[in-house]
Amino acid sequence: MTDTQAVTLNALALYGLALLLAAAFAAQLLLHELPCPLCLLQRILFALLAIGPILNIRFGPRPSHYALSLLTAVLGASVSTRQVLLHILPGDAGYGSALLGYHYYTWALIGFIAAIVLLAATLLFDRQFDHRTAQVTAPGKFAQGAVWLVIGLTALNVASPLLECGLPPAPTIPSSMSC
Amino acid sequence: MEFTALFLAITIAMLVAWRGPRPLAIGLFAVILVACVATLLHHATDRLTLSF
Repeated sequence: MTDTQAVTLNALALYGLALLLAAAFAAQLLLHELPCPLCLLQRILFALLAIGPILNIRFGPRPSHYALSLLTAVLGASVSTRQVLLHILPGDAGYGSALLGYHYYTWALIGFIAAIVLLAATLLFDRQFDHRTAQVTAPGKFAQGAVWLVIGLTALNVASPLLECGLPPAPTIPSSMSC
Repeated sequence: MEFTALFLAITIAMLVAWRGPRPLAIGLFAVILVACVATLLHHATDRLTLSF
């Protein structure tokens, strides 16, 4: 995999994260799926996953950029594992509604584990790091669009906790949009 | 409130990663990651209303 192909792969990853952030925000506003603190933290960590790909697109692929995303994915997997364990007892209905049989936090755990595996697999391709000292070419419109889309959606998500609860901290289990 | 601040901080870190100096972007990332761990530990002691 060349550095150009790696940049394209990073742009695709950003589009994936943008889709996920948009879906979570839409579920909150349209389906009234109120996020609890752990749910918000998982959404925040999905957004934080985007810093590595943005740096890869701007400065060229580097192992340190992938390491940032790996650290975030491990923390995200820990947070979603905690939430899965909170609802592990038999008879517990879980929090929120299920999608294809799994609750959103279970999907988040699957997503973070998939991110760890994909990041590790991407690090196997050494040729993408060969041109690290060369001048990095300006990213194309596809990559620029991915970066601005994920920045825009993260900025939009600033309103997410405010819409739910205003300025006070979110309750453990929110009961309405106005708390 | 802390979640709003975290989303805002990530937006700023993304903008710095895209337009600003690389060391500053990585520094902001580290601060946010530590803040996320602190938020997780803060909410680890929440009283939970079990749903069964």
